[in-house]
Amino acid sequence: MPPLLLFPSLLLLCLRLLRAEPLAYPAVISPQDPTLLIGSSLVATCTVSPDFHLKAEDLYWTLNGRRLPAASYAALSPTTLSVALARLNGSKQQSGDNLVCHSRDGGILAGSCLYVGLPPEKPVNITCWSKNMKDLTCKWAPGTEGETFLHTNYTLKYKLRWYGRDNTCQEYHTAGPYSCHIPKDLALFTPYEIWVEASNRLGVAVSDVVMLDILDVVTTDPPSDVHVSRVGDLEDQLSVRWSSPPALKDFLFQAKYQIQYRVEDSSEWKVVDDVGNQTSCRLAGLRPGTVYFVQVRCNPFGIYGSKKAGIWSDWSNPTAASTPRSERAAGSCDPKGGEQNTTLRRELKQFFGWVKKHAYGCSNLGIKLYDQWRVWLQKSHKTRNQVGSSR
Amino acid sequence: MELRAGDSWGIFTFLCAALCNLPALPALNCTEELGAGQSIQKTYDLTRYLEHQLRTLAGTYLNYLGPPFNEPDFNPPRLARAERVPSATVDLDLWRGLTDNARLAANYRAYSRLLCYLRALDGQAGTAELRHRLGHFCSSLQGLVLSIAGVMSSLGYPLPTGPAGPPAPPGTPVAPNDFLKKMDDFWLLKELQTWLWRSAKDFNRLKKKVPPAVVTLRLEARGF
Repeated sequence: MPPLLLFPSLLLLCLRLLRAEPLAYPAVISPQDPTLLIGSSLVATCTVSPDFHLKAEDLYWTLNGRRLPAASYAALSPTTLSVALARLNGSKQQSGDNLVCHSRDGGILAGSCLYVGLPPEKPVNITCWSKNMKDLTCKWAPGTEGETFLHTNYTLKYKLRWYGRDNTCQEYHTAGPYSCHIPKDLALFTPYEIWVEASNRLGVAVSDVVMLDILDVVTTDPPSDVHVSRVGDLEDQLSVRWSSPPALKDFLFQAKYQIQYRVEDSSEWKVVDDVGNQTSCRLAGLRPGTVYFVQVRCNPFGIYGSKKAGIWSDWSNPTAASTPRSERAAGSCDPKGGEQNTTLRRELKQFFGWVKKHAYGCSNLGIKLYDQWRVWLQKSHKTRNQVGSSR
Repeated sequence: MELRAGDSWGIFTFLCAALCNLPALPALNCTEELGAGQSIQKTYDLTRYLEHQLRTLAGTYLNYLGPPFNEPDFNPPRLARAERVPSATVDLDLWRGLTDNARLAANYRAYSRLLCYLRALDGQAGTAELRHRLGHFCSSLQGLVLSIAGVMSSLGYPLPTGPAGPPAPPGTPVAPNDFLKKMDDFWLLKELQTWLWRSAKDFNRLKKKVPPAVVTLRLEARGF
């Protein structure tokens, strides 16, 4: 009988020895790795394993490498020392504050990571854009407080309005730390509901739901094949031509374009806003003999019947061109007629130049129009004389 | 031929003459074996590069763990947990007496294991910057493992098979709490550092031991 009784207890003993790990640790701290709100207090205890023959008075505590005052200690038993921490500040690092129980010679007996912080704030300012209606990238900002001292996980979720399950975005940090990219399987013509969930050890916060239609937030590549060239010998004009962005070329009948240009040695850009949906424009009122840099961008306004403006693309790479140098000689390059050098003509030219400069228009008002008018005037004058003479 | 001191044409001619008297060099493709000597040099260079990278990575990671882990004199106990990380520390005579095969095999096994553990670290490391650095370092470390494998095969040694080192005994938790996990991470980085120091010496030793004859023999075997 006795051997039979002995066997289970021997087995139990063996099992306890096999689970030898706890005995390998000199001490145990409680609580182990707690999560706490900023400002809360904590009493932690360090209990030394009996195998190590240490007493409570041989121990001391440090927090993030700094020794804690002995006044906050209390010996709860011969092998247990406690420490009282009051009004805790937010964790010094997101991996947790290091609360460590030491033996007198400084050796580490045990440690506990304190996670002290705040629950997350609602993420705000969700903005999204779709490149060529193929994907959706959204970014957001953490709540107003920002720093919660705890690692916060953000999850962007979306679903089709009126039906569909919740989907979770997978590709994060594509456009900054608070961003996510949905690469495919997006539907048009039905709005999406989009929101961001922020979670950390102390809780969860959900942003407001943003509703958007993919077609209202489309952006494209910049216009391609931007060419800037002189307009004959005109010294104050340049002609800009471009193609609509290739990806949406067949859909951009209502697109808007914008041009900006600057002189080579200036950083001030002039913007031409009323380009409409043409793919060419003439810049006027420029300085002769100067190098200009020109950029164009596109807004897929009204794509597929969307009533809203889309999102402006990036500017195209700058293209450079120079206006012809002004002629010093009295004769200008325009060979028509013999009254080229009258004061009137010069003044008119200046006037038209001023009009173009200050109206930022792409209109064809200019000295050429005046010349055409003069030609017409001469013709009609001759006709009238003829008519008159025939009377 | 008259070689005047400082005459660049003279020097050029001398170099040509010297080169012509060497065994004819085959037109080596880059894809051909570099020869054990050059492989060893490459591996040595890689360990020095990794050592340099590790300094920055360890600094950043230890700052993430927070004090006291990032203090210069931090010296925690190595608790009697299952030895997951292979130790580079070795008796001097034992180290000297290692055969080339054993020396290379020890390096190969150690870095394969270390790579595994580092990759696991990548999973939950806090900041995006840290994860990025870790990812980059893991790629470089992978390169080192492959480089060592290359040296071993060019010297005709078989690669160590099976799991690198003894498997973790069943029932050993990864780390029972967050603080112990931080200690594991600290020791992982320390061991990595020690291994890179040791490997530089290992490969230096191998460089001297691999005779140039090995390179020449290979050329003759190719009929040049």
